[in-house]
Amino acid sequence: MLDKIVSALKARKDLTGWSVRHVNSTGAQVYAVPKQVEARRGVDEEKFRIVVFRRSQTPDGSPAIGSGDVTILPGGDISAALDQAALVAGLVKNPLHTIPAKKSMPDVDLADREVKKDSLATLETVMSELRKNAAAQAGVDLTSAECFADIETTHFVNSNGIDAEQEATDVHVEFVLQSREGDKNTETHRELTRRRVSDLNLTAEVERRARYTRDLLHASPPPTWDGPVVIQNDALAIFLAGDGLTSTTLRTLSSASTKYSKVTPWEVGQSVFRGEVKGDPFTLWGNRRIPFGNVSNRFDAEGLPAQRVEIIRDNKLVTFHGAQRYADYLEQPPTGDFGTVELPAGKRKAESLLTEPYVEICMFSWFNPEPVSGDFSSEIRLGYLVENGKATPFKGGQLVGNMLDALANAYWSQETELIGNYMGPSTARFNQLKVAPT
Amino acid sequence: MSELKLPQAMAELRRGLPNVIAAGQEKAPYFAALLSSKQGVRMFVDNREEGVNEMPPTAGTVLTTFDGDVVLERAVGGFDKQEVEKGARELVSSATFDPNYKPEAKPERRGDFVSSMKIDPHSLSVQEKLDRCRELQKRIKALDERIVNARVGYNEGTEYSVFANSTSDLAQRIQRVHMLMVLFVAGPDGQVRYDWLSKSGTGGMELLEMTDEDIESILKSSLGLLKAERIEPGEYQVISAPGVSGTICHESFGHGVETDMFLKERAMAAHFIDKTVGSDLVNIADNPAFENGFGSYFFDDEGQMASDTKIVKEGIFKRGITDLYSSEALDINRSANGRRQDYSRKAYARMSNTYFEAGETPVEDMLAQVDNGIYLDRWSSGMEDPQGWGIQVTCHFGREIKNGKITDRVFAPIGISGYVPKVLGSITAVGNEMYLEPGTCGKGNKELLPVASGGPHLLMRAPLG
Repeated sequence: MLDKIVSALKARKDLTGWSVRHVNSTGAQVYAVPKQVEARRGVDEEKFRIVVFRRSQTPDGSPAIGSGDVTILPGGDISAALDQAALVAGLVKNPLHTIPAKKSMPDVDLADREVKKDSLATLETVMSELRKNAAAQAGVDLTSAECFADIETTHFVNSNGIDAEQEATDVHVEFVLQSREGDKNTETHRELTRRRVSDLNLTAEVERRARYTRDLLHASPPPTWDGPVVIQNDALAIFLAGDGLTSTTLRTLSSASTKYSKVTPWEVGQSVFRGEVKGDPFTLWGNRRIPFGNVSNRFDAEGLPAQRVEIIRDNKLVTFHGAQRYADYLEQPPTGDFGTVELPAGKRKAESLLTEPYVEICMFSWFNPEPVSGDFSSEIRLGYLVENGKATPFKGGQLVGNMLDALANAYWSQETELIGNYMGPSTARFNQLKVAPT
Repeated sequence: MSELKLPQAMAELRRGLPNVIAAGQEKAPYFAALLSSKQGVRMFVDNREEGVNEMPPTAGTVLTTFDGDVVLERAVGGFDKQEVEKGARELVSSATFDPNYKPEAKPERRGDFVSSMKIDPHSLSVQEKLDRCRELQKRIKALDERIVNARVGYNEGTEYSVFANSTSDLAQRIQRVHMLMVLFVAGPDGQVRYDWLSKSGTGGMELLEMTDEDIESILKSSLGLLKAERIEPGEYQVISAPGVSGTICHESFGHGVETDMFLKERAMAAHFIDKTVGSDLVNIADNPAFENGFGSYFFDDEGQMASDTKIVKEGIFKRGITDLYSSEALDINRSANGRRQDYSRKAYARMSNTYFEAGETPVEDMLAQVDNGIYLDRWSSGMEDPQGWGIQVTCHFGREIKNGKITDRVFAPIGISGYVPKVLGSITAVGNEMYLEPGTCGKGNKELLPVASGGPHLLMRAPLG
């Protein structure tokens, strides 16, 4: 069907450009409640996502271009779908821009052989590992779990000669641990997505969550705190790279589309911070080339090849990241999707960042800073007040601050790790943040 | 009500479903089929560009078996009869079922339903809808020289679904519309702030009219944010606007009473049935039949007809909201809350339109009771904690209340946190008018669905930071 779609697109004289993404996905899902499997599901999906471009004029006679998109399912009416997309493209009037040109695509490993071999059997093994690891932890019970595995192949073709394919897998695991003492009941909930089963690190994940769950039983109310706050591992990944639900401050303010919209005040060559940088200098890459990175790919949705792009160097903006269109508007090279948030290793050993007293935040309810200002007030699910050699767990209260101010006054560890959509220091010490009690 | 016109492939498959179900039920004690098609369009116009995009459509068939113990499902992309029949054969042939399970006998239910609309969005061309966005954008872009961008967005989503089992043959078209204005303003320091205002619902274009008052209000709030301060953390006397009330409701006695969470032993509320969870002014409901609610529908994805569920009555927790599996496992009456993100995902117990019911106090009378407090004006996000009963609701901004009047002093953002029963127990007045606001709800960080949350103004005490 892809060939028929491409032929139909080539035959149209009203289009100035087009692209097609043929996506085939197959997946398995297993859901468990405390004592049994609740549901097993198998899912198949195939679709053709088409974008077309047409030239036109604005009411004042300036040249314009518009795009229209449409998804065709197998057996769908190709001609009607293209007519609809072309109609829409003719209505939309934007300044002229190009579409990605043919370039070599890097090889980036994205698919797990285990998942490809038998996704349902792999999930049953993951579920069993999860149960085994939870059973090995004293004082906690696994009360629910969901495991998904997907295999997705994408064939991308556009009118500029790009013809590329990629295959990727995703494994998603979600589990809940609970702990009880008398009439007190606590829980932790963990969601993690990886390309490979072997990157789930279930033993370490379950061990860490079990410790948190037990500690929550003895959690105090939150302290009033204005000082150093340490964030590590997956909590740091969420702090810097977000959870994928909303755009983060770093991504929003460094976006070419946001710049074109006049929403970000950042300028290339200027500091991204509002005042003096008191901590380690800050450098940031957007990286789509990390093997088995959650947001890595060979090419993105418009066919731009994977790159590792330096966004910020030593506190100064190097480039805006963005699609071909916004890159054209800003007269800079296109970078494509952001990819993994990558920070360089710091200069300090992680243990040197744990000078007491400090507060460590291990779990947020939802760390969701306001994307343009960077201000945040996020409820704390679990933190520790560490002083006099003792770590006292607490729950509740809010971490209050501003993302940019926090980054301008932070120290970073030498030790690094790849966690989902984040690669960089495993420990950060933010020297001045507030915990507001409830 | 308009006549329901299903997509052709869906309508054809619907005619063949009785045979598929009869064949499935020869082996499985319960067999059902859901045909689901979701599609839509979104468009925007701002000072610099415009766009029209399709919402990625989904279309597929879910075949479900249940034997009182395990739900087995096969999800097949599209509505091809042969593929669906093949999926059904594979589903039942690969499984063993508990022969002793007898599903509860249900009355026959048949019917076609369409959202009530005066102006069906499908009756307007893309050009007409885009022009409406352009006109509104023209009205707002030059209101003040500090506006650096003004964006108008329009989304429409159409869901068609057919549910069939041995006693049901139901079909519906749910039409959702949403119009949004966002004003970005810059201060003398170059820093950009923004605010938004939206209109939405299940229905037609008539729900989306933006008045001059609406435009004036968003301009005032956007400019006010340029002078916003961070609030001094602490407990405050608070009046929550309807959207903020709704988000508190959604995160506390919405997520907290989804009965699949009871089954997973994840919900504190399971231990509070018929117990006090808030002040006796508190009444909370979930109602997918709420007229024009953004989360409205006629039947859920497991074939249960929409009806009102009273969750909290006069401060006492009465019951949760259910999907098929948890209601059977917990042996409680169904409510119409079995919903799926799309055909490729499982059904869970999910909210529809969840709200505090209106009380008797005009907002002016509430304000008169506050000497020093905060009017929480615009919610931006929330997160549930059904086990710990913690609240996190983030407000884009709030305004100072001084001596019974709202002042020009603005705080942003503001986080509300605290222990649910304590916050709900502190409610001392409930407003006499209620509104719903649209939202997207996840189960954790996935399974996204359109919902509405709302209520009246509430006067309470809450920790802010």
